[in-house]
Amino acid sequence: MDTDMDQIYQTDVGNLLAFNPNHRFPSTPSSREELVKECVTEGTKLVQAIADTLFNFPSTESVDGPLVQLPPPTTKLPREKHLPRPKPPTKWEEFALKKEAKKDKIVSDETTDKFKRRHGYDRVNDDNDIPVIEAKASDEPGEDPFAKRLDDKKKRVGKQEKNRLQNLKTAAKAGALPSHVQLAATALPISGTKTQPQKIGKDALGDVAGLAATSTASGGKFDKKLPGEKPPKKQGKHHKYLPVVPRYGWVDEEKEQTNKVLGKLLSKHSHEILNVGKAINMYNDKKEKKKSGRSDKLKPKKDITKKKPYANKAN
Amino acid sequence: MRPLDENETTVVFEKIFKFVGNNLKNIVENPSHEGPEPEPGRYCFRLQKSRVYYVSESLVKRATNISRKSLVSLGTCIGKYTHAGSFHLTIMSLNLLAANAKHKVWLKPTSEMSFLYGNHVLKGGLGRITDSIVPGDGVVVFSMSDVPLGFGIAAKSTQDCRKLDPNGIVVLHQADIGEYLRDEDEL
Repeated sequence: MDTDMDQIYQTDVGNLLAFNPNHRFPSTPSSREELVKECVTEGTKLVQAIADTLFNFPSTESVDGPLVQLPPPTTKLPREKHLPRPKPPTKWEEFALKKEAKKDKIVSDETTDKFKRRHGYDRVNDDNDIPVIEAKASDEPGEDPFAKRLDDKKKRVGKQEKNRLQNLKTAAKAGALPSHVQLAATALPISGTKTQPQKIGKDALGDVAGLAATSTASGGKFDKKLPGEKPPKKQGKHHKYLPVVPRYGWVDEEKEQTNKVLGKLLSKHSHEILNVGKAINMYNDKKEKKKSGRSDKLKPKKDITKKKPYANKAN
Repeated sequence: MRPLDENETTVVFEKIFKFVGNNLKNIVENPSHEGPEPEPGRYCFRLQKSRVYYVSESLVKRATNISRKSLVSLGTCIGKYTHAGSFHLTIMSLNLLAANAKHKVWLKPTSEMSFLYGNHVLKGGLGRITDSIVPGDGVVVFSMSDVPLGFGIAAKSTQDCRKLDPNGIVVLHQADIGEYLRDEDEL
């Protein structure tokens, strides 16, 4: 319609969308029909705006008419699913945020003055390497300092394990765990949580069991199964081929298979055995022969007009 | 070498059925007198390196003594599987098909050579043709002296053949015995 109105309309040709942000009803419409009329007139203006922009695009010829390549859409559509929920930071991560310590993998050892790795084989401060522990004033007599070190270590390990479980629980509460870890977390004793843990479906449970089974050397084939647990589904293609030569004394499976296939095929095409056209022709021929009463064209024809010698009874 | 599984058997039988119809039963249950056993054995189909062979059972038993890598061929090769998984009948199945064919076509001596070079059968080269042919049927091509020359797919029914102009295609060429010379390497 008016070219200056085009600038006022917001058009997104990629989505074939036109929007008039400045539309105001001049007066409140008195009836439904008036409202409808008003909407239709406004709508036609918007559609005209879209059509104008479309026809301004370069078009290629096609079978059905001119073809126009639409530009990519500019309207941003809202997201379908929620953003991934962030995992709550673990206790260590919180601590690390406060204390920005950088831990090297290779540390200098005090006793041997060499560079050893922090964890693993031949590590720094290994418990087995300490030859002598000096007695301190706070030590009680009769206490084994080596045993004490071992005890301390065990306590630290236990504490760490508890922390790990706590981290899992908080993450499970926040809903930020993948399904197989979620399963491990829900098996923990959770006390005092009001939120019901998400129930994992049968398929997910089966998948998790399969995942766990792959960590065994035999792929979970000989694992003890709970009562009611089904054996794992076969994964991947499974071909069971028949033996090349039928085993002596056993049923010939290949023969059975070929017979079965043959039977199926023949029964599928059994409707073609009877050639209907030919049968009809033969039937019609037979009928005509019967009608005319002549079984063989080669037999001499009876001449009805020929008079017999005794026909004249007048004598 | 292994027997065909069910899907493969259906595919092969369907292809052969197009040519022989119900005589397929005769092919499958053909008694073979090849082995030293007194009672006749059967013929069976075996797959080796994506080629399907029609062998008697006694021969198969003896072929198991040859390792898979050294086994080149056994019995009669009737066709092969392509890379994509479809099955094609090759010329070497001609004897089997010709003996049990349902639809036959005889060629005039003038057009024999054309067919043997791989061209389709035109109406002008047609000598005799069996009736009740449906387009899409398998047809075995013979010379006038009843020598099987090859096989193909019927393009027109017998009735339509009569109305065709002399350059119309009657049988689409699939295989001919000239291939023994032309495609020697591929067989």
